[in-house]
Amino acid sequence: MASDKSTGWTATAFYRWLLVAPLAFVGLFFLWPILNVILRSFTDPSLGVANYERVFGGGPYLKVLWITVETAGIVTILCALIAYPVAYVISRVRGSMMSLMMAFVVVSLWTSVVIRSYAWMVVFQRKGVLNQFLVAVDIVERPISFLPGTLAVNVGMVHIMLPFMLLPMLATMRTIDRTLISAAEVMGANPFAAFRKVFFPLSLPGLGAGSALVFMMSLGFFITPALLGGPRHMMAAVLIEQQANRLLDWGLASALSTVLLLLTTSIYLVYLRIMKSAGGGFAHGR
Amino acid sequence: MAAESTAKLPLGFRAGWVIICCFTALILVYLVLPQFIVLPLSFSDRSFLSFPPSGWSTQWYEKLVANPSWFQAMINSLAIGVPTAVLSMVFGTMAALAVSRGGFKQAGVISALVVAPMMLPHVILAIGLYPLMLQLNLLGSYAAATIGHTVIGVPLVFITVTAALARHDFTLELAAMTLGARPWRTFRSVTYPTIRIGIIIGGILAFATSIDELMLALFLTGAGTRTLPRLIWEQMNDYLTPTIAAVATLVFLFTLVLLVIVALIQSRSTRLDGWNHD
Repeated sequence: MASDKSTGWTATAFYRWLLVAPLAFVGLFFLWPILNVILRSFTDPSLGVANYERVFGGGPYLKVLWITVETAGIVTILCALIAYPVAYVISRVRGSMMSLMMAFVVVSLWTSVVIRSYAWMVVFQRKGVLNQFLVAVDIVERPISFLPGTLAVNVGMVHIMLPFMLLPMLATMRTIDRTLISAAEVMGANPFAAFRKVFFPLSLPGLGAGSALVFMMSLGFFITPALLGGPRHMMAAVLIEQQANRLLDWGLASALSTVLLLLTTSIYLVYLRIMKSAGGGFAHGR
Repeated sequence: MAAESTAKLPLGFRAGWVIICCFTALILVYLVLPQFIVLPLSFSDRSFLSFPPSGWSTQWYEKLVANPSWFQAMINSLAIGVPTAVLSMVFGTMAALAVSRGGFKQAGVISALVVAPMMLPHVILAIGLYPLMLQLNLLGSYAAATIGHTVIGVPLVFITVTAALARHDFTLELAAMTLGARPWRTFRSVTYPTIRIGIIIGGILAFATSIDELMLALFLTGAGTRTLPRLIWEQMNDYLTPTIAAVATLVFLFTLVLLVIVALIQSRSTRLDGWNHD
């Protein structure tokens, strides 16, 4: 017994030591740079909160933050509404039909975001696929200008975010015990009532995790709004990149990043809470 | 597409089922629609983006081959993607083993920290790493982009390996050690075989993420090390020629190959039942 215990301790100690290298890496190349960004937002160009006064002073920067949160919210709601019935169908079919459906989701997830945004530019441009279709079926007389525009940004972002909503939803729906629904039906509940009172509540952790994930990732979105949104639909990440990379206003870029970081971190904590209470780890892919 | 025992259900519910099945089909088409717009476009005979193309040609692929900067960008992407995958596999596996088997009280906090880089906006990491790489005199080097991509690649391996470890009992390893195996030996002959698939799939995910990453590449690569997404990005902001469609098609095909490899690895490993659908 004693030797058993000491071997267990050796193994645990061995595994504990393995944390040193990854933690040093994460500390040096993730935590340290981010702390520096926060620090810089208070010191560049001079000590104080001048950068935050510019951000929250009611000018264009505050509006960009508002558009960012608004867009992330709209994309999350659209994804939830679209993904729920789709995940429900995929969780009920079996065999090769399910594999086929999953293939669509996974191929979409794996396709480069830059390339997908490019494809949406092709769809939405003045002589693009959508306009040709609309003119051909006489819905409009002459091409509408979609680019840059809110519709194009939403369609493009929902497209990229849908798999991130679908996968956690599916993970939850797959674990729901079908006999519970049968039981409810045997007890006299009609299928709608069985769905509403049994299936839906049990599927909520997936909906919650997916929504938090999509909202969080949408807040930091860059490629799609930069390509399809233009200056009127500017989102935080686009503004930060512009300020730092082109206008070299690192103080403002750092302050905007700190605000964005606070927003995302708070959603991340909500997400972790949901995942913990759902009993899973990080139960999805990319 | 029949669900179990739909026949017994009331008409309203069956109609509802048919409607959401049609809706699902539409959404699945929407998910892969862009890919199938880019493909025919890359064979267009016009220089502007009309769809469907009025005639066919391979001129955009010829232009692609003729321009050395595309080839250089592909090489750069691989020169950053491969070391990123390897480093991510090493650090991600170490972290997963430590968190799953180390018996830390703060295991939840450590996991949250390790996974955080994947979740937080890349732009914050990019503007944080830029001055650091400047200080280290690494800006514009392969190393700078590799380090940046590894930060977001480690979580992917961490997640896949943690999932693999969760399916296996620690007692096997304890048994091996009780029988006199040293930690390294135990790892090689007991632990490693059970998490190998998780490590490989995590590595492929990290590679794919690096190949597609734009924001860190914008800040950390230079003229000589710019990656494929960065070159596509720069070209897109200038002019929308079908050359980009040709590149996009090639990248898409490359991704499909990776995906097939992952699917093959997964179907060959019966043990990893939980990863079939991802």
